[in-house]
Amino acid sequence: MNLLRKSAVREFLRILIAVSAALILGFVITLLVSKQPVEAYRAFLLGPLSRFNRFGDWIEESITLTLVGLAVALVFKSKQFSLGAEGQILLGALVSGSIALFVPLPGYVRVPLGLLAAMVVGFLWGYLPGYLKAHLNANEIVSTLMLNTIALKIYDYFLIFHIKPPNAGYNASETFTKDGILPSFVPALPFLADLRARFMSQTNITVMLYLAVIAFLVAYYLMYRTPFGYELRMIGANIKFAHYGGINVKRTIVLAFAVSGVFAGLAGAHLAMGIHTKLIQNISLGIGFEGIVVALMARNNPLFVPLSALAYGYLRAGADIMERSSDVSREMVLVIQALIILLVTAERVLPVIQQRVAARRNAQPTPSLAEGGE
Amino acid sequence: MWELVLRGIFSALFVASVLRISTPLILPALGGLISELSGATNIALEGIMLVAAFTGVVISAYTQNVWLGVIAGMLSGVLVAGFLAYFHLYLKADLFLAGIAINIMATGGTIFLLYVLTGDKGSSSTLASKAVPVVNIPIIKDIPVLGTILSGHNIFTYLAFILTWLVSVFLYRTPQGVHLRAVGENPEAAASLGIDVRRVRLGALLLSGVLASLGGLNLSMAYLTLFQREMTAGRGFIALAAVFLGGRTPWGTLIAAVLFGFFDALSNQLGSLAIPSQWVQMIPYAATVLALVVYSLRQRAQAIERARRFQEKHLAETHATGD
Repeated sequence: MNLLRKSAVREFLRILIAVSAALILGFVITLLVSKQPVEAYRAFLLGPLSRFNRFGDWIEESITLTLVGLAVALVFKSKQFSLGAEGQILLGALVSGSIALFVPLPGYVRVPLGLLAAMVVGFLWGYLPGYLKAHLNANEIVSTLMLNTIALKIYDYFLIFHIKPPNAGYNASETFTKDGILPSFVPALPFLADLRARFMSQTNITVMLYLAVIAFLVAYYLMYRTPFGYELRMIGANIKFAHYGGINVKRTIVLAFAVSGVFAGLAGAHLAMGIHTKLIQNISLGIGFEGIVVALMARNNPLFVPLSALAYGYLRAGADIMERSSDVSREMVLVIQALIILLVTAERVLPVIQQRVAARRNAQPTPSLAEGGE
Repeated sequence: MWELVLRGIFSALFVASVLRISTPLILPALGGLISELSGATNIALEGIMLVAAFTGVVISAYTQNVWLGVIAGMLSGVLVAGFLAYFHLYLKADLFLAGIAINIMATGGTIFLLYVLTGDKGSSSTLASKAVPVVNIPIIKDIPVLGTILSGHNIFTYLAFILTWLVSVFLYRTPQGVHLRAVGENPEAAASLGIDVRRVRLGALLLSGVLASLGGLNLSMAYLTLFQREMTAGRGFIALAAVFLGGRTPWGTLIAAVLFGFFDALSNQLGSLAIPSQWVQMIPYAATVLALVVYSLRQRAQAIERARRFQEKHLAETHATGD
């Protein structure tokens, strides 16, 4: 147990060092290009807390990132590199948005129905590449990339030819009515009326906040407290060992893809029914790939995904503010993001820590399962 | 209506446009093929193309020399590929995740630098960048239909077809090519024969960097004559798909890339009619998924066939010695 905790501390240190190094490099870049580097970087690092609506942007983004991060973490944990989150998000947004627009039911039925439909569609759009990988050994990176584009075309087709009002100038649906929008996270109680009004006027933080917390708990429970999660982690640690150990590898892999899709679909519903409250083109805008960074910083452990999503959402929100208030463009955060991925994945980049750990490992040989079990 | 479409497709101009659209797919696809065959799936083709496209435009604008731009663009692409290879092969980063990081960095970095250099985040239209020349083939250009199809393309288009041939010679007719494929087929076996797996993969990734940068340069110095943000628009990923759709062979990859180009050109044609272009654009992607399935089914059938043959041979031998 002590050993496990040490390895967790080690991981945390690694990531902390990687993030700090990337931020320092970001500052060096800012120094090179900006006339007011300190002001720009201050806006970047402190901006999200400076105003109420900015704080709201940060939390909204973090909710989406948490859901996508959980989706990616689940499937990556089994060492299956599915990039399908993007397509699942798009289709999740499409079905939940369509239900929000066209199903004439009261809000307390319509909204849950939209969420459910998004989850089902995500499940199916994940099941497909999972089946192709497990049963037909089709490379999942390529198949999911293809399915992402197919999903994008489906989304665009329905948006442009069926959902968009005929005489609208640009490709977007009408704004959903109140019955198709996720309610504010502050309950409509008399003594909370002021708070609710304040949050509703300046932010779009919805009940998705609670659903994200539930999703986080479910993902953690699935991965660490169920046979499915055990099998999934075993496959990720050593697929041959898992197979000889009697695990139904194919079934577990298909399920890992599909269950991952459920979370991504939910993220799509959040984009449609929570943040934008209408269907627009490019609604997901690469957030499926951002989910990879979130999952990676959390080391594919659902427990750390919300933290990682908050940290990453903070960087993104900060970059937006930096762009608006200084001469540094927001794309700098993409460079920082890439550096974080590289530094976190490169096993040999932080040799001092690695060597110390190696020395310790040699001193006391450990059972091999401790590594896989986390 | 269909008559109009068919007449459009069977025109020489349409065929020429297919070739033009396919070029920035063929070149990176060849690069993807080489690294794929060495056992290193290069997901960073997209990023390499973008960096090369950007560097080519900027250097050609500042030096006012198109060839310096091309060379600088290729160098920058190789540098990015080398960066990826260094992180993967020497710092033990996961190739796939490092590749995604490279793509993100290329997207952000090019827009960031574009803004620093021009004050514009959309395109490099204020930079007076150069374009590579168009080749008019002497006699062929005067032949009615053939001339329209074959002549008057930029050099990258011709290069794409020549390089397909060169790559196939390299892969199947040179010792380096055989080593490369051996490393991809079975790294342990190759290493036991004294092949340096890491060095072979480094070479393969660098080569894929050269080819992908040519694809990127084609976009910004021929197809268009400026750099636009995210102008690769997923072509690096389509190129990777073409490798699989083409059954991981040079000519198959070429045909697959042209097929993608064909459907892209077709959807442009249909855009003027009432047919939703989305359905047409979807076809090559669905075809790629199908090709993946067919490829692995064939792979499995071959394995079963090999096992059966081995068994027969083995049984025959034991019979012979038993008598």
